[in-house]
Amino acid sequence: MKRMEIAPGVHLSWDPAQKFNRCRVSIHFALPAKRETATAHALLPLVMERGYADCPDMTQLTKKLARLYGADLTVDARPMGANHNLCVSVTGIKDQFALEGEPLTREYAELALGTAFHPYFVGETFAPDAVNIEKQMLKKALEDEVNEKRLYCQRQANREFFGDSPAGVRQEGYLEEVEGLTARQLTDAYYEMLRAASIELIVLGCGEAQTEAVKNALLEELSQVERAPAALAENMAMPRREPLYKTETFDTTQAKLCMLFTLGQPMQPRQLAAVRLAMALYGGSVTSRLFLNVRERDHLCYYCSSSFQSFTGSMAVNSGVEHADAARAEKAVLKELADLCDGPITDEELEDCRRSLLSGMTGLEDTLGGIETWYYMEVLRGGPIQSPDEARAALCAVTKEDVRAILRALTLSVSYCLTREEGSTHA
Amino acid sequence: MPEKQSVLEQTAADQWKVLPSGLTVIVRPMPGYSGTHVIYATRFGSIDRDFRLDDKEVHLPAGVAHFLEHKMFEDQDGDAFAKFAKTGANANAFTAFDRTCYLFTATEQLDESLDVLLEMVGKPYFTQQTIDKEQGIIGQEIKMYDDSADWRLITGLCECLYHSHPIRSDIAGTCESIATITPGMLYDCCKAFYAPNNMVLAAAGNTTMEQILAACERNGLMEPRPAERVQRLWRDEPMTLAAKEKTIRMPVAKPCFGLGFKEEPLPSGDLRSEMLYDLILCCICGGMSKLYRRLYDEGLTNPGFGGEVLRVDGCCCILFTGESDAPDAVRQLLLDEIARVRAEGVDREIFTLCKNEKYGQLIENLENVEDSASQMADFALAGQTVAQQITTLAGLKAEDADAALQQILREERMATMYIQPDGTAVLPEDDGEEEEA
Repeated sequence: MKRMEIAPGVHLSWDPAQKFNRCRVSIHFALPAKRETATAHALLPLVMERGYADCPDMTQLTKKLARLYGADLTVDARPMGANHNLCVSVTGIKDQFALEGEPLTREYAELALGTAFHPYFVGETFAPDAVNIEKQMLKKALEDEVNEKRLYCQRQANREFFGDSPAGVRQEGYLEEVEGLTARQLTDAYYEMLRAASIELIVLGCGEAQTEAVKNALLEELSQVERAPAALAENMAMPRREPLYKTETFDTTQAKLCMLFTLGQPMQPRQLAAVRLAMALYGGSVTSRLFLNVRERDHLCYYCSSSFQSFTGSMAVNSGVEHADAARAEKAVLKELADLCDGPITDEELEDCRRSLLSGMTGLEDTLGGIETWYYMEVLRGGPIQSPDEARAALCAVTKEDVRAILRALTLSVSYCLTREEGSTHA
Repeated sequence: MPEKQSVLEQTAADQWKVLPSGLTVIVRPMPGYSGTHVIYATRFGSIDRDFRLDDKEVHLPAGVAHFLEHKMFEDQDGDAFAKFAKTGANANAFTAFDRTCYLFTATEQLDESLDVLLEMVGKPYFTQQTIDKEQGIIGQEIKMYDDSADWRLITGLCECLYHSHPIRSDIAGTCESIATITPGMLYDCCKAFYAPNNMVLAAAGNTTMEQILAACERNGLMEPRPAERVQRLWRDEPMTLAAKEKTIRMPVAKPCFGLGFKEEPLPSGDLRSEMLYDLILCCICGGMSKLYRRLYDEGLTNPGFGGEVLRVDGCCCILFTGESDAPDAVRQLLLDEIARVRAEGVDREIFTLCKNEKYGQLIENLENVEDSASQMADFALAGQTVAQQITTLAGLKAEDADAALQQILREERMATMYIQPDGTAVLPEDDGEEEEA
């Protein structure tokens, strides 16, 4: 992947990725999340994805994509710690597969740029009709989150964990604010994004001339915008605290448990290799302690896994357990962590985990999504951008003590349980 | 367009071989890729409950195929996951209504990973003790799915549509049904359905046919095997419904609903009709349809509302699922649209565009090693290739859809499933986070 700055706060990342059948053009806008505009930024992708100035109608846009052999246009917003990221992407089959010789790649670029820079406005704002319909969709999505208990449990735990910190801004929107949101406010949020965001244009699977054309078209669009890129929020970590134990009652068949831990201070990019191995060893793989001991040996749950978020220096352990076993599972999760911190770690388990991670890293450039995710996360994390090969080398150098240092720094902040049995859930 | 044909043929090309043991091997070498994805699949799924093996009739409780999948990872030497850990391969498995698949992705030590896979499936080992041990974990898995509204809609609709077909039962069974599983049952299943002539080995990525065949040779799959005399036993299934309607209550925020249409079973290997039904659904309620737009704009369903074809031996049904505050209104709109399209014919433009999308999907699925091997295995289990699928797709005409619509999606064979909120699900207050490591 080659990367270059093409304007202040604007970068191009490019990989010809010839082996793939498809190509992909994506434009990422990253900016610090703000509480006051969170709901508008949550609604923005829904309205932008419906259509743009040259193709305002949602059904016609779907037909246009079908004409391009089912090309995928996605406008996707997601939290990246205390930053907000909106990505407009178009992915489709390469020109060589077009049955009528259509110039598909050119159309993908036009679609991505049109969606990002020429939304459908009526007068000076997003079309009010479209805004109203998508407001209902956003409301529905926010109301429905409770249907997915595992995700819901994790999100409820996050709310307790992050509180009022910048990473606690609910970037998927605040239900109570959706109804009152106006087309004007949405338009203001859009212009704020164009003005303040760091922009990453990622072009995968296109030739040099095609990439150059996309780059120039982007610069042409940006020449019409008064840009003032804002610095992105740096990696953070929640301070340590006395653990908070919360229980919420649902009449489910299985209880859900989410435990959140903090590193206490922001993760440094140089720690990432040790973090990866620590997660694989603790709960991120089928050779991890949580999988082998809590699930396989103790049969306490169907799933019990850990994951780490580098932007916020936090670790989540998620588990699906018998209602009556929730307290035992919670205790077992803590015991496995303590055992790794203070007990023996065998060479065999460490190398099994390392081997699995190395293998995964070798294969991640086998997909367009793998390439884009890897490099863009490297960009957002700050510090020098590591290629997968460099990350493999760093992983090979990680010692048991490096792993222990990471795990010892993690302390429990929140334990959240969804269960039908009140009062007996926490250890 | 000969040049285009050549690009397509090259991209969709895979190498087939049927070994003396009866095993079908399919390989797609993918130059430039680091990883290889391998799938070892048997035509044995949750619906295979009753069969005759030689002279013995076997009747299984629900959930045996899935249980067997779990137990296959364990042998006398220990756990296959531990062996895969030594090769760095990422292994997994899944059970569907009509198949069980064991798979891994490897970037190094492919030969060693192939040996682990072929040996673990080729040399099963079960005891009552190890079976008892597994019941706890699978019980947890069953309970996890019990809390999924989407899954409950599918299983609920199947219970309404079918009187006796085993599709009525959950793939994983119930805690009660799996409690009756014995080692003898599992060995019978292996003998009947894990014979090489009932299986497919598909590999895509950084490998060659020679490498895969060498692994088969090492694991005794080049030797002829006596064909097992297996006969699946089916109970009669009339075209009537077992129930017109079913309602359950769950902790969901909004009501969910499903509509199921019972169709005539398709002959084995008839992927053409299945593809045609998919195109018809795309015309009736896909993203380009008038109905979808109306439901969307009026907020009558969630954006994910849509139809799918569920088809296995002895069973074919079309299921629509979604969320709505007004499920009966959505049902009526759908029935009206089906009637209109049946009378007027499918929209020619939309039909052609749906074919375009399917073509793009087939090309996309050839792009990464996982999708590529999965697609090859799926089609091979039905005796087809990807290239044949592309040809079949090209040959489908709007008139075929019009004709099929005279037979399918009939209201008299429709069942409705409702999931009502039980009142315990409060509206969420939420934040979302990306997981990285």
